[in-house]
Amino acid sequence: MAEPTTPSGIPLRPVYGPDDLPASHGAARASAPGEPPFLRGAYPRMYRAKPWRIFQLSGYGSPEELNRRLHFLLEQGETGFIMKRDRVTNDHLYDVEHPEVEARREDVGQTGAVLLSARDVEVAIDGLPITESYAHPGAGVVQAGPWCLTSYWVAARRRGVDFRQLAGTGQSDFFLTYVGCLTKDQIPPHAGLRLNCDLIEFCREHMPRWVPVSIAGYNGADSGLNAYQELGAVMANAAEYLDAVSDAGLPVETFARGIGGISMRTSMSFFEDIAKLRAARKMWHDLLRSQYGVDDEKALALRIHVVTAGSAMTYQQPLNNIVRGTLMALAAALGGVQSLGVSGYDEAISIPSDHAHQMSIRVQQILQQECGGLVDVADPLGGSYLVESLTAELEARGWEFFEQIRNRGGFVATIDDGWLLQRAADNQATAAPRGTELVGVDSHTDDVAPFEIDGFAAGSDAWERGMERVAILRKERHERAAGDALRALERACRGRDNVVPLMLDALEADVTIGEVGGVYREAFGSWKVPVEL
Amino acid sequence: MIEEWREPPTANDGRVGAGRSGRPARVLLAKTALDGHWRGVMLIARTLRDAGFEVVSLGMATADEIANAARDEDVDLVGLNVGGRVEVVERVLDRLRAVAGDVPVFAGGTVPPWAAKRLVARGIEVFPPGSAPDDIAAAARRLTGS
Repeated sequence: MAEPTTPSGIPLRPVYGPDDLPASHGAARASAPGEPPFLRGAYPRMYRAKPWRIFQLSGYGSPEELNRRLHFLLEQGETGFIMKRDRVTNDHLYDVEHPEVEARREDVGQTGAVLLSARDVEVAIDGLPITESYAHPGAGVVQAGPWCLTSYWVAARRRGVDFRQLAGTGQSDFFLTYVGCLTKDQIPPHAGLRLNCDLIEFCREHMPRWVPVSIAGYNGADSGLNAYQELGAVMANAAEYLDAVSDAGLPVETFARGIGGISMRTSMSFFEDIAKLRAARKMWHDLLRSQYGVDDEKALALRIHVVTAGSAMTYQQPLNNIVRGTLMALAAALGGVQSLGVSGYDEAISIPSDHAHQMSIRVQQILQQECGGLVDVADPLGGSYLVESLTAELEARGWEFFEQIRNRGGFVATIDDGWLLQRAADNQATAAPRGTELVGVDSHTDDVAPFEIDGFAAGSDAWERGMERVAILRKERHERAAGDALRALERACRGRDNVVPLMLDALEADVTIGEVGGVYREAFGSWKVPVEL
Repeated sequence: MIEEWREPPTANDGRVGAGRSGRPARVLLAKTALDGHWRGVMLIARTLRDAGFEVVSLGMATADEIANAARDEDVDLVGLNVGGRVEVVERVLDRLRAVAGDVPVFAGGTVPPWAAKRLVARGIEVFPPGSAPDDIAAAARRLTGS
């Protein structure tokens, strides 16, 4: 029988002891939470000062349905909100009447809310406490980033809220866009990097409480990158941003402060995940300080959002997934995250039902309120022979992977030519069909009928309702103003001006999502998936 | 598109017998939703290639594109990766029947139990998440008579 290993292949010994404490980490281990290199936490008092944010991915159907779900989640105790948008229209920047959309019209609104203009976002955020809440307006994939953020900002401004009052985060994540969840139509990575830099620059000037973009290693990890590959790739992505920002003549602190939140994944590999989160903070600090000379401590202290692995959730015996969600959430808390989303127990079946969402919140509330000591003591596993050993090993392997990416021309180059995607795909293919016997799937498979669930389905009329809204919008808006705004946006895309102010003008002129997509496709072209999957 | 994605089988060691025209059985794989989660369909493609099938991977495709490819590629089996509503899959089946006759179809992906029942009622075998790759390869052999 083979020796057990972590999922990334680090051998596991039967027991760990003082000899396993890595000498290289003596100083980091002796540092306190909130002190460089932040191995033990971003803040000195951690959850005594502030519990992690309960931050669930949510969104489906029409703007009204998203609005209802967001109110529900906030009532249940969520402490920020995410406006997940429809994959068909939003991620592709397609209007509802686009032939690719019409051909699958029943799918529209099943994976996120259908928000086609700033007016739709106004409806979606109606009555929400937007000046007190931390918002993620759904800017997941790269090409949708500026559109999603500006649509939220314009909708807020129409409510009389000043940009400077708004707190929240963008994403525009390369892992999601070019590794995890490919689209049929997407601007090339280099154009994406440029748009992201425009967002960084705009937020620096106008949005003091806004994180313009974030790096979501989660999407690489849940597609197959292992723990140290996730670490190395996240750091390589950060390095590429720092290079780009520095090339644009901006101080690197600009980016470092704005970006200092990333998202990562915890899965059922528990101890390896805890070690990964600790290693991430140290690597971030070392990258910024040693390689870029950043000494702003706020920038050096990495804040981490974790999403628990959707792929760990099983279709069979779905209530078991509440246990899995709890364990993955516990790993995140032990790793010292600032923000957490727990995947729904119905994840393998559908997007979350109200009840699945509620349980994802309850899991976190139980950890925060009932799990003895968890929020009282920072880095409770600090000094653990096993965890410290894994932390050092992951860091070493993470830097090796980082170097591989840098030697291949950098992060965006390995995204563009599909190398990173291929690494994820190869891991999927070479892993044993399943590394672990899953309870309820491979063993203990007796299904008890009352515990079957149907999953959740959004209404099937989101497409028709979107068509109606766009027809009204086009009748009511000032057609020439919309056309002028789109032409100005296209000039910015083709030139060097920051696109964000022009996107704001376009949203204010009530352009539609597909009109912006049309401009992008003309100006930037479309990326072709370079790997055969 | 199809030309680019078509690859000869990687491990045709004779485990799969002749399809309808004396060549290895040919399977068309397509995603019905405009949703690029690729893990599942990629693993099925590799599983079937390793089992000796010739796999034509269409990626995200509409009902018309899937039906036309099934006809033009003269496939022995169609595998649908589902990531959205069952109505979209049913439209694919309608087009397939109209354009490509009674080619057998199997499906997998995030198909809730109630939707799986609707597909099964139309003669479609459904493999939900957690299905064993060997079972899927065995179904492909059975459905292609190879």
